[in-house]
Amino acid sequence: MTAATPLLAIRGLRAAYGKIEALKGVDVEINAGEIVALIGANGAGKSTLMMTIFGKPRARAGQILFDGKDISAVPTHQIAHLRIAQSPEGRRIFPRMSVAENLQMGADVTDSTEAERESTRERVFALFPRLKERVMQRGGTLSGGEQQMLAIGRALMSRPRLLLLDEPSLGLAPLIARQIFDAIRALNRQDGLTVLIVEQNANHALKLAHRGYVMVNGLITLAGTGAELLQRPEIRAAYLEGGRHA
Amino acid sequence: MQASRTAGIPFILKKAFLSACVALVLFSLMIGIRTEAGPDGQLTWWTRFGDLASIVGLVFGGSIIIELLRQWLGPIGAEKLVPAPVQRGLSLAGRFLGPALLVFTLLVPVIFYNQRYILDLAILVLTYVMLGWGLNVVVGLAGLLDLGYVAFYAVGAYSYALLATNFGWSFWVCLPLAGMLAAIWGVMLGFPVLRLRGDYLAIVTLAFGEIIRLVILNWQSLTGGPNGVSGIPRPTLFGIPLDNSDDGLAAKLGIDYSPTHRIVFLFYLILALALLTNWVTIRLRRLPIGRAWEALREDEVACRALGINTTTTKLTAFATGAMFGGFAGAFFATRQGFISPESFTFQESALVLAIVVLGGMGSQLGVALAALTMIGGFELFRGLETYRMLVFGMAMVLIMIWRPRGIIGHRAPTVYLTKAQAISSDLVKEGHG
Repeated sequence: MTAATPLLAIRGLRAAYGKIEALKGVDVEINAGEIVALIGANGAGKSTLMMTIFGKPRARAGQILFDGKDISAVPTHQIAHLRIAQSPEGRRIFPRMSVAENLQMGADVTDSTEAERESTRERVFALFPRLKERVMQRGGTLSGGEQQMLAIGRALMSRPRLLLLDEPSLGLAPLIARQIFDAIRALNRQDGLTVLIVEQNANHALKLAHRGYVMVNGLITLAGTGAELLQRPEIRAAYLEGGRHA
Repeated sequence: MQASRTAGIPFILKKAFLSACVALVLFSLMIGIRTEAGPDGQLTWWTRFGDLASIVGLVFGGSIIIELLRQWLGPIGAEKLVPAPVQRGLSLAGRFLGPALLVFTLLVPVIFYNQRYILDLAILVLTYVMLGWGLNVVVGLAGLLDLGYVAFYAVGAYSYALLATNFGWSFWVCLPLAGMLAAIWGVMLGFPVLRLRGDYLAIVTLAFGEIIRLVILNWQSLTGGPNGVSGIPRPTLFGIPLDNSDDGLAAKLGIDYSPTHRIVFLFYLILALALLTNWVTIRLRRLPIGRAWEALREDEVACRALGINTTTTKLTAFATGAMFGGFAGAFFATRQGFISPESFTFQESALVLAIVVLGGMGSQLGVALAALTMIGGFELFRGLETYRMLVFGMAMVLIMIWRPRGIIGHRAPTVYLTKAQAISSDLVKEGHG
């Protein structure tokens, strides 16, 4: 962890909605080529952290260093240009636009060439063959799992260096959730993509991730490798045993 | 849901009976008993059970017909009772509808050359087609509900009127200026409302439309206030006037002068302007900016996450829509020769918005058809006199029942994969997710 500069380093990050402080000094590091999981209960500030990386809400204090440069003051729409992509919570695909158009939206902001887009699209279709089947279908008519695939695919279209995934398994059948996790693993292993994944499904996320952070009430309370965290009794009690039947 | 929709005769009869009962209760006092002041001021009353019975019978029969029609036409997505070959035929006809309409429109002045009334009506319809297409950029594509579109129409009209009457500039110089000025006003409206959506945006745009109208009304020294601007020059064909003078077009061509020449010229002028609007919109939809407009309509948060600058995207939508409104306004001014604030009331905004919504938000052909229906319908029902608005309102309600997404609710995709769609058969299977 002390090797090179991390791809993303978050230092003492604070963010708030009005007077309610959601992040109270968060430190997170993500090295290039890693999958990092961020787990925690509802309202712990996981999604806020994701959104603060994108500048909405703005950081009140602390730094967000991407590739060594502080991006905490960069306008939201420019952050995607730095090749950080996000698959937002609740998928947020464009329901009346076709699958092809949704994917194109992901590529529109980048200055990639037509050939690069083509190859990225092929890569997305290889990961999620379902999307290729439904390429002319409207996004809103896809099933929940397919919409999640589309949201990830759309994020990948900008050829990101860092992919932020917010609750990719939310509301999905276990089988479909596993497909999504497999795809994330493949992206990491085969394409060397760096991933920050926020999950409530701690078991899945920690098995997938190299390292994990546990967030409680706007603070990181535990950090370690995925396997370590999975063994911690407090994690098991809080997120695994209790949540298994939920 | 599905079961009740296709339920048989008992269901329909029951529903019709219930409607008739409601009608009976409702109308028994309103129609069944008639009261009036007698000659000495006392109350006289008499019954009209015959009328009541016919009304209730009408409701009963009407609700059966409506239910039957509903089962045939059904909203989008419902199982259609129309057989598949007929549907295919209809969709084929639908594909040729646009080009056929265009060819017909081009021929209108030839077919109806001697019917001034129809030509005037056609010009009016085309003006609203253009306004509809312009507003479609803002409402249909970008999803920004604009109730003050008439403001840009007014800005365009007054820009041309004032520039032409004060400086004597020609129509062709003023037209782009009118568009630009309207676009600037579009941006000025856009800035304060950037963070608003839906109802809130609608209220502010409504107020904006009124502000522009009131400023025009009260700025007497510039706009002439309620007296309006008169003597607005007629357009020329690149400097050649279309009048009875020696250097007019008729004289130059060596043909007899007829006032219809100008009407025909105006017709083709507005047709060209409308087609320009359409062409630009279609082109823009295929560019990233047009796609961003549509994405903005769908999900603003996702847009930001994808790196779209929502500020500029909204402002360009407002500016583009306003610019076309300004062009239409300049045309309106040159056609009328006289403009006053009365032409730019909220009713105009509402009418144009109704055209866009009725046509199907975002659908170019739908908007054209809706403009034809609305403006043409106004004229068609003129014979019904007082009942005109009633018939018209009912027609609108019916369209919204059967086509809740507008006449053409279908949205044509703009991205196709470059490679041919060769999907192997093992991929094309029923989804099991």
